Amino acid sequence: MNVRSAIGAIGVVALVFVASAFGTYPTYLLSLAMINVIAAVGLNLLIGNSGQISLCHSSFMAVGAYVSALLTARLGLPFWAAIPVGAAAAAGIGALLGLPARRLSGIYLALATLGFLQIVQIAIEEFADVTGGVRGLTIPKARVVASAAPMSAFALFCVVLVSCAFSIWVARNLLRSRLGREFNAVRQSPHAAQALGISVARVKLTAFALSSGYAGFAGGLFAIVVGFVDPNEFGIGAALRQLTFIVIGGIGSIVGSILGAVVLSALPELLRPVKEYNELVSALLLLAALLFMPHGLVMLWRRLLPTRLVATRESAA
Amino acid sequence: MPLTFYLQLAIAGVSVGAIYALVALAIVIPFKASGVLNFGQGEVATLGAYTALILTQSGLAYPVIALLVIVTGAVVGVIVERLLIRPIASAPPFTIVIATFAIGLAIKSAIQIHWGDTTFALAGPFGDDPVIVGGVRMNPTSLWIVFCTVAITLLLAAFFRFARTGKAMRAVAINPEAATLMGVRVNGIYRWAWAISATIGASAGLLVAPVVGINPEVGQLILRGLVAAVLGGFTSIQGAVVGGIVVGLLETFASITVGSTFKNLTPFIVLMLLLIFRPYGLFGARDVHRV
Repeated sequence: MNVRSAIGAIGVVALVFVASAFGTYPTYLLSLAMINVIAAVGLNLLIGNSGQISLCHSSFMAVGAYVSALLTARLGLPFWAAIPVGAAAAAGIGALLGLPARRLSGIYLALATLGFLQIVQIAIEEFADVTGGVRGLTIPKARVVASAAPMSAFALFCVVLVSCAFSIWVARNLLRSRLGREFNAVRQSPHAAQALGISVARVKLTAFALSSGYAGFAGGLFAIVVGFVDPNEFGIGAALRQLTFIVIGGIGSIVGSILGAVVLSALPELLRPVKEYNELVSALLLLAALLFMPHGLVMLWRRLLPTRLVATRESAA
Repeated sequence: MPLTFYLQLAIAGVSVGAIYALVALAIVIPFKASGVLNFGQGEVATLGAYTALILTQSGLAYPVIALLVIVTGAVVGVIVERLLIRPIASAPPFTIVIATFAIGLAIKSAIQIHWGDTTFALAGPFGDDPVIVGGVRMNPTSLWIVFCTVAITLLLAAFFRFARTGKAMRAVAINPEAATLMGVRVNGIYRWAWAISATIGASAGLLVAPVVGINPEVGQLILRGLVAAVLGGFTSIQGAVVGGIVVGLLETFASITVGSTFKNLTPFIVLMLLLIFRPYGLFGARDVHRV
């Protein structure tokens, strides 16, 4: 067991302690922060590792959230069945969007994903019979089976905690696998990757589907934990917030995704007395990070850890 | 009756499209010169609209307001280019895309903090009495928008054809290194490109304000502007203008043929189809680049 696994284990124990000791609201906030971590880890796989741009990950989150919400609210499916279906639906749509994305890069991909975001937003608002439109959709309290009592905030928190740990574990192992190395190869030089026999189109498509699946998974958990979804939650502001997570945390690093998502999830709480400055502060933080801290918070983390560990980190990332 | 009806729709479409054309121009000019796509361009229009609001409330005449909006736009463009874009000019496209988005969001949220989400009305320069020509009713504001767009397009065309700076900008767009060797100050050209772009963006805000009102969402214009720019091939001035008008007409006619649900979807479906089948636009040159 190395030091980083130990830090992870201590983190989990600390989270459970805080959640069980401090009542419903902090538990709820911690759950949301971990949902953001899942979304950030997924987005970072796409942007930081496979080197593609997406401005529409909030839309994939919307797909996951709405599919899970509709399955639980309309068909009475339990959440643990609905959320994976939502994630799979998001991954499928991500793969569809990934088809043209294979041929587009840079700003054209940014444009295509921005267009997709608008289409999803308008579709949610216009097909109000199914989605509830701008008024939103309320989801019944989560139950393990239909006859059981509704789950407490702490039980939901545990579900999110396990999901978050699972997502991080998958991403970490994935980056050490053949596929993860292919992601990085395609980002660094598509030509060289192609010459080495890597199918660039397939890798890009896989990255898109996988990362959308992460977003959909986060979306499904979000719907269940919050108990309410509306299109505002998944607009361009949300997409930008997710990008801020990984830029401030550190592009291409799992630890960076976690740090960024946690720090920025805490920000609205810190800014509670001056709530209207929330968006302005996060926009300015994003700009400052891009200008002065292009490697993100993860650089601080690496400096704090002993050199030997940094070396293993670098080879893993 | 049907003919005048369609004519009237066409005029409405063209005047909406003229605004999109201006936004598209404001996007295309710095992109062509420096390769930076400004996703914050919509907020420059918002800024123009609010500048017009402040100046109107202080009782200035329209020509003075227009002039000051243009000056404000140019100043904002120069400041943004110097302080925020130039330091990250050599960063990967992702960084620049996010930075321009963040600039837009910062402007929008600053405006929201000060003015809230209220929509303010702004009177057009020529009132609201329709001009009737041969049974076709035309809104004077729409005509003014079209007139300004034509004037701006002609000025730009002349600038790129005859002015020294305009020619230098074309040279930089083709090859910055060669242009430097020929004595062109590339950074100066980038500054010009951003100043011109922000001027046009702010003017678009001023022009559209009487039509849609002034609120923090004016910047949403950029979405249609981007569709127009892609339609026009993303690097050509004529393409941007034609693209804008096509988007305006498409939207207007879509609202009577397929209903308002699909009216909003139309530009984005067109965008996706374009990016899939003709990413170089209807007029742009095919840039063959395989991986």
